[in-house]
Amino acid sequence: MAIDGTKIIHAVMEGSRIRESKGIIPLFGVYLSLFSVKYYNRLSFDFEKKMGESRRNEAEKLLVAAAQECGYATFQGIRNSWEWDQIVKPMIEHPEDQIDGFTAVAVAFGWGDLVVKELVPKRSLVIHVGDSYEARGFLEDYGPSESGKCYMLRGVTGAFMDLLYGDDYPEGCFTFTAEESRCRAKGDPYCEFVARKSSG
Amino acid sequence: MLAFNWQRELGREGHRVVFSGQAFAMHCHHYNINLQKTLEDTLGPEGVDLLYRSAEEANYANFSYLLAQYSQLKSLKSKFEMAATMFQNCGMGILHFHHIGPQGGQVVSPSSHHVTGWLAKLGRRTTPGCHFTRGWLAGMVGAVFEKPLNSYRVVERECKLMGHRDCVFEISCDA
Repeated sequence: MAIDGTKIIHAVMEGSRIRESKGIIPLFGVYLSLFSVKYYNRLSFDFEKKMGESRRNEAEKLLVAAAQECGYATFQGIRNSWEWDQIVKPMIEHPEDQIDGFTAVAVAFGWGDLVVKELVPKRSLVIHVGDSYEARGFLEDYGPSESGKCYMLRGVTGAFMDLLYGDDYPEGCFTFTAEESRCRAKGDPYCEFVARKSSG
Repeated sequence: MLAFNWQRELGREGHRVVFSGQAFAMHCHHYNINLQKTLEDTLGPEGVDLLYRSAEEANYANFSYLLAQYSQLKSLKSKFEMAATMFQNCGMGILHFHHIGPQGGQVVSPSSHHVTGWLAKLGRRTTPGCHFTRGWLAGMVGAVFEKPLNSYRVVERECKLMGHRDCVFEISCDA
């Protein structure tokens, strides 16, 4: 059975309407929040700007690492949650199907229209995103870029592979590294993320 | 009766999550806390200011838009009720407003996403840590009183991350 993303989106939207008395949204094993993408984009892109040209690579690495570590913990929580057991697990036939489950959750979260283009087990993963909020936000606020700007999705792509093919949680984070080979912010028709085994 | 209907405001436009027509994203405490820690550790006070200003600007825009949509809300009480409802239903926590006027006032938060998330990941801290909530409040109050952006300053006097019972925010008008 293929992963039915619509069911997952429906579950996330319904679940995100349930709050406990403290105003916290506990869903898929994590505490969820909803806020404007403008906030996240301003944080990332102004952080990069404040770090200056000489520390641009460092800023990029920090933002990707923050997202990868988050993606690793988040999706580990998600795949061990009651909701995953009830909604996603019945649709999983092969371990690799988990990646489709992860991307469906990412779409449900409003991160973009993620599509898995290629998965070579234990080796590489290619994800395309036609409309990532990071690329759209960068273009709207700063104009065309010379480099990829989707740091969050880049880290998350690496985290997906870490969870499937890295050492057991929590030892496997950063086993894989993702690059953004194409980005709408630099004029490409879509953003492309390619995760491969980290070197060294 | 509060006319603000957050369930109606939250929806989807294809793959995008929208709240009252504006693009939103869902993120969990792992990402929110990781971002905060990265900015604080790397930029220090400048990173704290960036967290605050980013939340202020985004919420000023959101809230100004919402107030225009709900122009039937005239009283301060109903506007602050809408703010508390929005904060709660976005999973950000609970806010209680005390004597807020154009010159400022006090807000008490007995629970928040950032406190719960920070404690779950990193434990207590020795300095106040609710920079997001401070910025969120500054933007919201600016929109309610129709002042220019950056008109209000919000200081966190007590913080649950430091062991206080509640987070206590003091709002003052700079303009």
